Amino acid sequence: MPDGALPVLDVKDLKTVFKTRGGEVHAVNDVSFSLKPGELLGVVGESGSGKSVTMMSLIGLLPSPPAEVRNGTVMFDGDDLLNVDAARMRDIRGGDIGFVFQDPMTSLNPVFTVGMQIAEPLRKHMGMNKKAARARAVELLELVGIPDAERRLDDYPHQFSGGMRQRVMIAIALACDPKVLIADEPTTALDVTIQAQILELMKELRTKLGMAVIWITHDLGVIAGIADRVIVMYGGQIVEHAPVADLFADPQHPYTQALLTTIPSVSGERSKRLTIIEGQPPILGAAPTLCPFRDRCNKRVEICERMMPQRYPVSGQHDAACFHADPGIPKEKAVGHAG
Amino acid sequence: MTIKTALMGAVASLAFAPMAFADGHEGERGRDGELRIIYWQAVSILNPYLSSGTKDIDASALVIEPLGRYDSSGNPVPYLATEIPTVANGGVSEDLTSITWTLQEGLVWSDGTPVTSRDVQFTWEYCTAEGGGCAQAAKFEGVTSVDIVDDLTVTVNFDGPTPNPYQPFMGGQSPIIQAAQFADCLGPRAPECTDANFAPIGTGPFVVTDFRVNDVVSFAANENYRVASQPAFATVVFKGGGDATAAGRAVMETGEFDYAWNMQLAPDVIAGMAEGGVGSPVSAFGALVERIEVNLTDPSPDLDEGIRSTAEAPHPFLTDPAVREAMSIAIDRELLVEIGYGQAGRPTCNLVPAPAIYASDNTGCLTQDIDRANALLDEAGYMDTDGDGVREMADGTPLSILYQTSTNAVRQDFQALIKEWWSEIGIETELRNIDAGVFFGGDPGSPDTFQRFYADVEMYANVFDGTDPQSYLGAYLCDKAPRPDTQWQGENINRFCDPAYDALWQELTSTGDLDERGRIGAALNDMLTKDSNVIIPLVDRGRVSAHANSLGGIELNVWDSELWNIAGWHRISE
Amino acid sequence: MIDAMFGTNFADGAQRIISFQSRSPVFDIIAERMPQTLWVVGMSYVVGVLIALPIGIISAYKQYSIFDQIGTLISMIGFSVPTFFTGVLLIVIFSTMVPLDSIFWLPSIYDTTHEVTDWESFKFQMRQMAMPVFVLALFNAAQISRYMRASMLDNLGQDYVRTARAKGMTEKIVVLKHVLRNSMIPVITVIALGVPQVFGGAIITEQVFKVNGLGQLLITAIQGSDIPMVMTLTFMFAILIVLFNLIADVLYGVLDPRIRYD
Repeated sequence: MPDGALPVLDVKDLKTVFKTRGGEVHAVNDVSFSLKPGELLGVVGESGSGKSVTMMSLIGLLPSPPAEVRNGTVMFDGDDLLNVDAARMRDIRGGDIGFVFQDPMTSLNPVFTVGMQIAEPLRKHMGMNKKAARARAVELLELVGIPDAERRLDDYPHQFSGGMRQRVMIAIALACDPKVLIADEPTTALDVTIQAQILELMKELRTKLGMAVIWITHDLGVIAGIADRVIVMYGGQIVEHAPVADLFADPQHPYTQALLTTIPSVSGERSKRLTIIEGQPPILGAAPTLCPFRDRCNKRVEICERMMPQRYPVSGQHDAACFHADPGIPKEKAVGHAG
Repeated sequence: MTIKTALMGAVASLAFAPMAFADGHEGERGRDGELRIIYWQAVSILNPYLSSGTKDIDASALVIEPLGRYDSSGNPVPYLATEIPTVANGGVSEDLTSITWTLQEGLVWSDGTPVTSRDVQFTWEYCTAEGGGCAQAAKFEGVTSVDIVDDLTVTVNFDGPTPNPYQPFMGGQSPIIQAAQFADCLGPRAPECTDANFAPIGTGPFVVTDFRVNDVVSFAANENYRVASQPAFATVVFKGGGDATAAGRAVMETGEFDYAWNMQLAPDVIAGMAEGGVGSPVSAFGALVERIEVNLTDPSPDLDEGIRSTAEAPHPFLTDPAVREAMSIAIDRELLVEIGYGQAGRPTCNLVPAPAIYASDNTGCLTQDIDRANALLDEAGYMDTDGDGVREMADGTPLSILYQTSTNAVRQDFQALIKEWWSEIGIETELRNIDAGVFFGGDPGSPDTFQRFYADVEMYANVFDGTDPQSYLGAYLCDKAPRPDTQWQGENINRFCDPAYDALWQELTSTGDLDERGRIGAALNDMLTKDSNVIIPLVDRGRVSAHANSLGGIELNVWDSELWNIAGWHRISE
Repeated sequence: MIDAMFGTNFADGAQRIISFQSRSPVFDIIAERMPQTLWVVGMSYVVGVLIALPIGIISAYKQYSIFDQIGTLISMIGFSVPTFFTGVLLIVIFSTMVPLDSIFWLPSIYDTTHEVTDWESFKFQMRQMAMPVFVLALFNAAQISRYMRASMLDNLGQDYVRTARAKGMTEKIVVLKHVLRNSMIPVITVIALGVPQVFGGAIITEQVFKVNGLGQLLITAIQGSDIPMVMTLTFMFAILIVLFNLIADVLYGVLDPRIRYD
């Protein structure tokens, strides 16, 4: 992993709002992160934490209305993706940035052959003719491990199993040799053995193709096995950011800590009940002014009711948005209120 | 008789009246292009011997012609004949048992073959053939034979003295058909000759070029028509279908058609349309009487087909004159006229309200008298025993009747009013209306025709052709009842049967004196109306049609087909 | 066509079906009525479909836009106002209120004998078809555009649409290729199943404009208890309905590979 190289994707202060009948929902609030070439960035968080919305905002896939990107910059390849015109954005989508979605059962168009769906971006972005696109599609299917690729090009999505369809989705995302692949919970809808196969495939492909990957998931186990760095999101904000080893060894944010305790342990006591995080994630009716996790936090302190925590650096690449990580606040004093 | 004969003589001298009429509009045949006629009842067949529908008779009048017609004043005029035969000119025998017609010389059918006396004879054979179900059989009542004298002369022999021998071959209902064309169509085979029935060869001003059943008939001028300058129109489009409103609109407002028949519309609607300025209504009065006919036989659906509505099953209570009289006097005819016809109608108690010599002095029904109607029914023993407002017969059968008519706004208004009045005298009425094309269609297979009469009472209007009501009154003879073995054809739809009536009618047929004929005619009229109320006349109706302002030569005729003088119709510059 | 398909079987022998009313062969009359029905009712169906599809697509793509609101209003009017009302309304406007010599004047009575031989007669044919076709097309378009809109809306929210966008496809391809192909599946069925109604004629509209076609033929036959005619027509409609159900099913397979029989 080339440390210190220029980031391929640099997101700053991204803010996305949904306008609904009941008012605005602030789904993404001042999210900043960067992605280096060849790196695999894990994004974790529970449902509704804003992980998918963040990634979709990057490449303008959110339907507008109701979604609106209010603020921020997304630097990719010298362009701010939030300000490029529609044609350039389309060139980047599917060309430089590939996308794999969660549910392979519905993400493919049921009435077109798999070959046609793979060839579509090839012909658009690479300017290939029908024949070349078909040859490349065969290569891609072989790459993602679909046997008998040549023949299966003419099959329709319903003729593939779930895992195979996700391989097809990956093939589509990889079709134009993207610099970045965004995988939005690509294994969630698959059963466990297939999940493992897809994970192996992704690891292999990353090594082989050397692209950067953003891997969105709520499964910390998956992250541990695959990611270089991890972003933990809660309530539309990044609450902790760390290299994967640091995060598991030394989680700083109470939410991350709680999250880690929810993983069932194989070695632990069988009779012990699984830990849960009490309460519900917040509904973000307004731009948050205080820590969004404070209502569920077991380490809440007095200052949490007054101020919004910043992302305080913990070590080189590790930061957390919690006053407990703020070096300016004495630790003893901060823990004082903990119950 | 002398008066009548004198009249005939006078008429004979004006023999070429319709042609004289065309003077001043002379010109080449076909000079005025297309004539567009709309009838809101579509034409089903062009053979009047197989249909009693006015639409069919009128459309066929363009093609086939009788020996003579009646003009708009009711005077006979010769068409194919050289003159109207009378006793005075020797055409009618002294004993009134025969009439001899002479065809014009040089007459040819539209196919170029000559018209001969054989064709006349054949027409009689055709209508009187066994099993043919001829719709105009009444026209040939009493004819024993039709003898050919020579190629152009034919004698009609009657079974007795016939003072009005102008029944066969006179008027739109008994035109001459070509023997050659219909030779194989006698008797039961008549309906099978589709080609002939759809496009008869005729002597009239037009020939059929295209016939579309129940839609449109196209005609072209007959190149062999006997008057060189007629018809003025080269083609005729005879469109059918829709309703009277749309037909009136097409003539008087949009100007798409030149002539629309039978504007049975509210008077204010007609006036509104006439403001369009493109066309005008035209009206004439005759003997057209809107009436309620009472079924003397039992139309109950419980009875078997073949028994139902035939003389074998007398009606349970409508056979009682008291009931019929009560029903008649319960009706306020003044109100009906006011609502339905305005200036185009007048209340009447007569079946034959015109010509004047036949009109009975019969005004008893003109004043509505519910009390007397109730008293009549009380006396006759029909009492409301179960208190439901409906009277019952002694055996408990309620006085409940089915009242049918054709679908028509005015008739439905009448139905509603009359139902109300009858309910006031304890008679329960169920209403039904049937599409006019079916009701008057004469289809022997349909249960809904007015002849079949599967109802207790029905309402429609009827009239007689010509000036003599003899055959009209002859419709009510015993043997004219429609029944299965006549294929449900026949005019005595009441199934009325009174030997005295038959006898008196026979007397009329042998009486020549016009005054005497008038007396007998009025007496027959009274037997059907005032005395028995088998027929309950309501309104004497004028006939209203509409024509484009640019159409000339129209002379609305209540005594024959409306299109009787279509040969002389022409365009006039406005 | 029908005469050729069915008629000859009967017509060759003496066993022709004869109408009670007119005593002429039923198929001759049907063949006579077929052209005006196909011209007027068929044309209105084609026009209706051609209008309905774009309206449905745009309405769905721009849901709740002004276009969608107007489209919804018009289809509601087309759907709920009966054809005998719109028909007479048009006659009053275009046949009686508009002066006769105006180019906007339209005939209120259809001339069934009119033959198209040259440009002038073709223009006349168009004029006399204008009102009945418009009345029926409005009704058909109202119906079909609603189906189209609903079906498009269903599909626009699908995941594969997002996939297509993520691949960088233009909106035109996303909507007119990916979404439309899927949306057409139920709509094609509705359209195909509506075709037998074309042959059935539009009874009321035919009556209003005196287009004496199959609908008018059926209604007069029913009124006249012309059993052979009614039986022939209903049997013919039955065959057409079965046939077009079959066609709809086959089309369904063509459009949707999921239910294709391999």
